[in-house]
Amino acid sequence: MLEKIINNKVKIIAFLIFVIAPSLLSKDDFYAGILFQTLLWAGMSGTWNLLGGYAGQFSLGHAAFFGIGAYTSSLLASGLHLTPWLGMLAGASLSAMVGVILGAICFRLRGHFFSLATLAFGQIVYIIALSWRSVTNGSEGVLIMSSPGWSEMAFNSKMAYVYLALIYMLIVVGVSFYLDRSRLGYFLVAYRENDEAARAIGVNTFLARVIVSGISAFLMAAGGTLYAQYMYYIDPDSVLSIALSVQAPLIAIVGGLGGALGPVFGSFLILPMTQMLRAWLGTSFSGLHLIIYGVILIVVLLLIPEGIFPKLTEYLKKRTEKENSKC
Amino acid sequence: MGVMDITNFAHGEYLMLSLYASFWLFEFFHIDPYLSVLLVIPLMFLLGLLTEKFLIRPTIGKPMFIHIFVTLGLSVILQNLALLLWSGNFRTIQVPFATHTINFGDISISTPRLIIFMVTLTVAYLIHLFLNYTWMGKAIRATSQNRNSAQLMGININRVFMVTFALGTACLGIAGPLLMPIYYVYPTIGFQFVLVAFVAVVMGGLGSVKGAVLASMLIGIIETLSGYFLDPAMKQAIYFLLFILVLIFKPSGIFGEEGKVV
Repeated sequence: MLEKIINNKVKIIAFLIFVIAPSLLSKDDFYAGILFQTLLWAGMSGTWNLLGGYAGQFSLGHAAFFGIGAYTSSLLASGLHLTPWLGMLAGASLSAMVGVILGAICFRLRGHFFSLATLAFGQIVYIIALSWRSVTNGSEGVLIMSSPGWSEMAFNSKMAYVYLALIYMLIVVGVSFYLDRSRLGYFLVAYRENDEAARAIGVNTFLARVIVSGISAFLMAAGGTLYAQYMYYIDPDSVLSIALSVQAPLIAIVGGLGGALGPVFGSFLILPMTQMLRAWLGTSFSGLHLIIYGVILIVVLLLIPEGIFPKLTEYLKKRTEKENSKC
Repeated sequence: MGVMDITNFAHGEYLMLSLYASFWLFEFFHIDPYLSVLLVIPLMFLLGLLTEKFLIRPTIGKPMFIHIFVTLGLSVILQNLALLLWSGNFRTIQVPFATHTINFGDISISTPRLIIFMVTLTVAYLIHLFLNYTWMGKAIRATSQNRNSAQLMGININRVFMVTFALGTACLGIAGPLLMPIYYVYPTIGFQFVLVAFVAVVMGGLGSVKGAVLASMLIGIIETLSGYFLDPAMKQAIYFLLFILVLIFKPSGIFGEEGKVV
């Protein structure tokens, strides 16, 4: 039984590799760009899923962590010529701290009020980045000027970024797998399913959520640095907009909440399609890809609220069971 | 929000639609925005009914995240549909009375803004009367207090939800045309308003009309004062901060009844 489930997971991972491999081989910049976005978003929605999926705490302010990461590393690089690797660590640590504090303050709120509070928090960070001109350059944004090389985390080939994003995604998936089978993860699920019961048997669900909020913020900020190094330019609208805060949960929900592979699956389902649509339709139909996002989200929520990935594994499991019983 | 225990993240987009409706009515048929209110209200009411029936109803009684993200998805769709159909340009209408002012001694007040203020107070009072003195209003209050008991008393809660939701959007049908003479309309305008509305509702105490009105005035004062003393760009940050603080320390709202906790 367990072997079969693992077997199916292997099948799906193999399928994903099958999808990734050809594009890894093709050196086309356009596809490399799409692949980078897909892997980065797989990782980012995965970090959102740590809190949203496992603990059922639906943050709508994750763009704030992403932006803190992107801004910290970029500003340190442009101001102090600090290598983005250390900048990434600094940004992620700062973000983790903010995540812990925000968690400690907001985790007493339930349901949509937590979402509203994090939404407001995201807007506060956005406004600060926009109006604290002396540090962040305001709406002009920050240009990252660095000569290519490992120490600068800047590369001529887009494939280098793809590999970085792949590593990033794998780390996030690894953390999710860890949550799947650790006390911490069980505490989160216990909170999601029944907080009173969990606390009654002595589980400190509050502490567990605060810790994971820190981890989630840390990883999200690392993604922000990656994005900034890839784009060479950031401004409040590109790294702190509400759209980012919505897209991360969107991908996770479509893929499947509360598992390690759901967000990855969701990202591979949505990102390539919308990115290509965006490129093909061009500016004449700006916004169409977002309409499709919205429609997919609503359809999935109303028809398969548990997400596509869990549904698919369930289906595969049933089919293999049927085949086995036939034999 | 208080009644249905639902946060409609697309609320701002309905305001956007209402603004566009009065804009196009003016542009094509030269209908004065103060007249087009009469057309936009039923339009928005109908839109609210349909949304409730097809998108909100299926999410009731399911986990919290479903309605949050269904309405968020709706908001994304409406925003980008507006972008696709009507482009991202800022649009406004030219009416002679937009800059008209009334003078009281040394104070001069913009007439359109004064009208908005009067209408808002009137509508708030009417809603207050409706909730307290009509059968439907009482049914809405009963449902917000306890859904199951209300149902046991023979209240059709589906109908209550539908009316409540549609009333909410109908109010936006009043707001849109009134705001049109003094505001621009563009696809993402709703977001600016909806967050302030959430702040006001939570600060005022959920489900309390009086609280929401008082809280809105407080927000207005805070916004103006902080814009005066601090960087004007920071004024929004101030009341978002206030919002988080109220949610945490006084979840029943500043003007809300005790015991009704978020």
